[in-house]
Amino acid sequence: MSTVTRTEPTEPMADGHDAGSRILSVVRLHLVNRYSVFAVPWMIMGGIFVVNVTIWWIIFASVTDEADRADARDGIAYSGALFYIFVYMLVLGIQAVAYTFPFALGFSVTRRDFWLGSALTFVALSAVYSAGLTILAAIEVATDGWGLGGTMFASYYFGGADASWIERFGLYFATYLFFYFVGAAIATIYQRWRNNGMLALFGTLGLVLIAGIALVSFTNSWPAVGAWFDSNGPSGVIAWSLVPTVVAAVTGYFILRRATPKN
Amino acid sequence: MSAVVEASHLTRRFGDTTAVDDISFSVQKNTIHGLLGRNGAGKTTLMQLLTGQDFATRGDIRVFGENPVENSGVLKNVCFIKESQRYPDDFKPRHVFTSAPWFFPNWDAAFADRLIADFRLPLNRRIKKLSRGQLSAIGVIVGLASRAPLTFFDEPYLGLDAVARQIFYDRLLEDYGDHPRTVILSTHLIDEVSNLLEHVLVIDEGRLLIDDDAETLRGSATTVVGTRQGVDAFVADREVLHRDGIGGLASVTVGRLSPQDRARASEMGLELSPVSLQQLVVRLTGGNQTETALEQSA
Repeated sequence: MSTVTRTEPTEPMADGHDAGSRILSVVRLHLVNRYSVFAVPWMIMGGIFVVNVTIWWIIFASVTDEADRADARDGIAYSGALFYIFVYMLVLGIQAVAYTFPFALGFSVTRRDFWLGSALTFVALSAVYSAGLTILAAIEVATDGWGLGGTMFASYYFGGADASWIERFGLYFATYLFFYFVGAAIATIYQRWRNNGMLALFGTLGLVLIAGIALVSFTNSWPAVGAWFDSNGPSGVIAWSLVPTVVAAVTGYFILRRATPKN
Repeated sequence: MSAVVEASHLTRRFGDTTAVDDISFSVQKNTIHGLLGRNGAGKTTLMQLLTGQDFATRGDIRVFGENPVENSGVLKNVCFIKESQRYPDDFKPRHVFTSAPWFFPNWDAAFADRLIADFRLPLNRRIKKLSRGQLSAIGVIVGLASRAPLTFFDEPYLGLDAVARQIFYDRLLEDYGDHPRTVILSTHLIDEVSNLLEHVLVIDEGRLLIDDDAETLRGSATTVVGTRQGVDAFVADREVLHRDGIGGLASVTVGRLSPQDRARASEMGLELSPVSLQQLVVRLTGGNQTETALEQSA
């Protein structure tokens, strides 16, 4: 028996057969650290939930009058507890571009494949998390607020206790997408123009905000603005958030197309 | 032989600085190239241009015959390891080695495992907490185990100890023998790698000074040592690249010598010694005076 020493030149691979697979590879790359992507958000949510349950228990143990209890329940329905989980997703969106983008380019990924893979990841994560929240909201409603009359998941902002599951799912989904894509798009500005980009972005945002306030004030339109929020309701406002989400997704792509990661 | 990389009149400006200044060269398939030069000479920018990470101001680049920018067909055959590579904040080395095969079609997991053991790299420690040398080891392992047909190493071993660097050279040569590929290696430790290199590119202030075979370069300069009078007489009508002297002794570096020159030098009792690649690069890029001297002689 003889040992044959094989010499295999590393030939360039043929083109084309795996355009989609590189996008899927980017998705896998985003999800490779399952702890950060899946465990941490649920741990944050669990922590917030425990704090909320404790507060509900304190409230309902100390408030005994029936009318006062009803008032407290109404107030709790405006719970913003879920806000923290969305902020974490904003941070994940920022990190996807700030850290994973330079790394992915080091792995010879094109900017196009990176952005499409990231967008696919955001959509998939939004769907998974929205499904989770929808189930928790259904349990919350069915158990009359975890047996305590509390509200965290079926809050007023996501359709309240009477919303259908599909409506709730849609609202969570749109909110997740908004935070992922806006976070990622802000980070693309940093990748492309560094600190100057950040200064220009927040400077411009400030100016636009002031100009908007001035415009509304001088034309006495505050009642109209209030009426718009009133007629759309929280659900309508969240649905409208799809507009900035899509704008962020498209501009982020074009900004990143010409970005070079630096140290 | 065919060209894997072809650059013509490649220029990259940042504001009013020109990082890469009208560079043209080509890299032949299955060779190990050294890309040498001082800090800020433009080495990293040049490699970023060749890997589609940066955008040329002017000029043309062909990698495997195509423009590499946003070209996944080209880039998946390219691996670019750089000293300044960033990793996701929460990554551990095992995440890097888990995901690498998804991007490099030739990835050899067994080879990667062997290198991980060679470099004693902890797989489950956060990358942020690794030492500088361990961080470099990650890049070196990815660069070797990916077996990309075109592999760039930009200062790959900052902080690696002498043993680890030797492991890198040994494994590179060994694996290059079994799986020939094109390697472009940028480094400051020129003497350590000079035996590895088959071709040398030297750039300074964005311009290409040398594009030559390592073999040719090794004989391209000689240091003449002896008494001051003897050396002066010998080098009288030659271009002097460098001059040192203590008391009555002189040491002078000159260009290529013919066999007759060598015979004459030994008759005159002068000692000749070859100039190492590192010394050559130092003399070429060390200052304006020596630089112009060599341009004339070249």
